[in-house]
Amino acid sequence: MAEEARYLYSVAKTAIEVNLGEIGIEKKEVFTIPYKDIAAVVHSSLAEPYDTKDRTRAEEWILEHSYVIDQAMKRFESVLPFSFDVILKGDNSAIAGWLEKNYLVLHKNIEKVEGKAEYGIQIYYNYNDLAGKILEDDPELKGMKSRIEKESKGMGYLLQKKLDARLKSLASQKAAELTNQTLGKIKTLAAELKMDDKKRKADGYKGMTLLVSYICLVADENVLQLGETLDEINRREGFRVRFTGPWAPFSFVDYRELS
Amino acid sequence: MNPERDSSLVEILDRLLDKGAIINADLIITVAGIPLIGLNLRAALASMETMLEYGIMEDWDKSSRELYASQETHLPLIPGEQVLYKAFGYIWQDEGIAKSWVPGIWNVTNQRLILWVKTPGKAIFETPLASLRVFRVPTSHETRQELELVYPDGRARISLSERDEFEAALARATTETEVISV
Repeated sequence: MAEEARYLYSVAKTAIEVNLGEIGIEKKEVFTIPYKDIAAVVHSSLAEPYDTKDRTRAEEWILEHSYVIDQAMKRFESVLPFSFDVILKGDNSAIAGWLEKNYLVLHKNIEKVEGKAEYGIQIYYNYNDLAGKILEDDPELKGMKSRIEKESKGMGYLLQKKLDARLKSLASQKAAELTNQTLGKIKTLAAELKMDDKKRKADGYKGMTLLVSYICLVADENVLQLGETLDEINRREGFRVRFTGPWAPFSFVDYRELS
Repeated sequence: MNPERDSSLVEILDRLLDKGAIINADLIITVAGIPLIGLNLRAALASMETMLEYGIMEDWDKSSRELYASQETHLPLIPGEQVLYKAFGYIWQDEGIAKSWVPGIWNVTNQRLILWVKTPGKAIFETPLASLRVFRVPTSHETRQELELVYPDGRARISLSERDEFEAALARATTETEVISV
């Protein structure tokens, strides 16, 4: 028989013992176990990890786990998210003891993310649109293009090659410039910023190239301004920005010192 | 523009499994010494993630290898060194108070055997292949198999789900490693 345990969703900044209802994995009742001004958001479980070969079931669990963290974020000032299947052995008092033992580390993390949330920023561009815009704005290239139409086939071909190469280099130059400018602005608005090296393309951006992907920790009062900054890029011909959030600060917590 | 919450599984998975910090705590439950996510679930999710990424479905151990292989890029190699095989696995650590199976990516190169951990990005174990000896030992878990490594600096107990493949990779990498069944 497995012993008593608590499945941990998050640690929140609250001193209150509260029942959040049956919102947990497989409708488990979620509640807080406070210690001082922080509390573990948990459900009562056995000391066994959730495990399944059934993908649909796994998906449901993950979404349920995520839902509880979202609810905690709505309810409490500051929330430290935990990964799936973090299960602590013992009853409520054992968990309170764990909070006590790790209070400094947890509190340090809470202070860091307080009043902030995680956001994803992805900048995409469409080469053809961007190249079209560059061509339109550049009289020299425009002239080159009209010359191609008049030249002989061989000469036209060579000129076209030259034009393509020139456009390509200008487009990548422009994309790089924009990335640098944007990064500068985002940095002033974000408390912390990380490059997302996974650079996974989102649905709905077919034919576009993902230029850059950031994950930022942003204070609530800066989100509007960040949105405006991103709007400037989004309005440019050939560029599109994907701005997601708010997420619990998954990428900015550091639990290495927990014991 | 306003931020949007994409509730797609990809976004959530990325955060929940990759980043949502792996914790190492005394109270944390383990299954046969393995912390956190159940093996089957890890498998299901790994294949899900790969499926989402490549738009294809493959059997889990291949796809989970690919998933974990993506972590391998950070492993610093010495000149002339090549990674020949990588697989998710564990090493038993019993120094200090916390005795546990520590997860990572086993990398067999043409020169070394390394257990690489992406976060914080370090090799928890490494040894040259020369004079490494590998013993098959009885296992304490149904889906994983254990091996005992004997190398010049000492001994280590390790665990992988595909022991045969691992041994075959070692055999391909060097003729100097000896694999002995007990």
